[in-house]
Amino acid sequence: MTDKEKIKIDDFFEGRNDLAEIFKQAAQQQIEDNGFTERVMQNLPDTQTAMVRRLSRIWSMFCIIVAVGLFFAFGGWQVLKGLFFGGLRMLLGWLEVFAITAPTTEININLWVILLLAAFVLVVLPYQTYRKLSATL
Amino acid sequence: MTELNDIALVTQVAVFHNKRAFDQLVRKYQSPVRRFFLNQTLGDEQLSDDLAQETFIKAYVNITKFRGLSSFSTWLMRIAYNVFYDNVRAKKQTEDIDSFAAMRQTSSTGDSNLKMDIYAALDLLKPDERTCITLQLIDGYPIEQISKITGIPDNTVKSHLRRGKEKMTIYLKENGYDR
Repeated sequence: MTDKEKIKIDDFFEGRNDLAEIFKQAAQQQIEDNGFTERVMQNLPDTQTAMVRRLSRIWSMFCIIVAVGLFFAFGGWQVLKGLFFGGLRMLLGWLEVFAITAPTTEININLWVILLLAAFVLVVLPYQTYRKLSATL
Repeated sequence: MTELNDIALVTQVAVFHNKRAFDQLVRKYQSPVRRFFLNQTLGDEQLSDDLAQETFIKAYVNITKFRGLSSFSTWLMRIAYNVFYDNVRAKKQTEDIDSFAAMRQTSSTGDSNLKMDIYAALDLLKPDERTCITLQLIDGYPIEQISKITGIPDNTVKSHLRRGKEKMTIYLKENGYDR
């Protein structure tokens, strides 16, 4: 093709306003999503890492179920109950001794410190434990 | 800014398998990708959507291979280009794609005669020529970007563009578009 012919072709494409307009319109044409993205997202395959993560989760669940089963099978509940009630008895005994001896002691007892300690033990510690367990599971 | 945003989303997908981030990428690029396929298939919407879906799935599976050497859109269009040519090779659909009659039945976007004539002119081009022409005239990519997307050397892209425009000019002139 000679340079002259090339110029004619370029002129044809750039000089024709209706053609330029058509290409411009085509360039600006936005195709509506119309559920396309949802279809793509539904058809995404599991990647290798996602599969490993899923298997790891299934394995964790299996281990937990086996552990809970063994716990009850070997009387773990009784041990736990014994520990709980033993601890409770100790705590009550300690409180009883404290209540009897507190008026006779010369140590200055701050009620707020006791309340804060109790709140820490009863609220913060269980909450932290719950968060850690949730993250693990 | 857009590229940085894209890279942040790609990182979210690649490292944390964040599907919401990928959802955003699909929403952002579905229009240019589907438009690319519509132009290559001369308006076959069903085929275009299938190929576009395949493109996004391939992008998701291979997202860790995106190195950021080019923009995400160029990388995605390269996948789209490969998907289209894999499809052409595998199913030998060139004849179907080149069948302008089939396009007339499926296209709902080509209402005006002029637009139909443009599609008819595009139908005369070889697939590589059509890809180069549509990437330049419709998607507005410069020659270097077209070369990156198609893997065709710059000079060959220029040849395809020249030959494509020549064929289209002849056809359009014969159909009364001569000034």
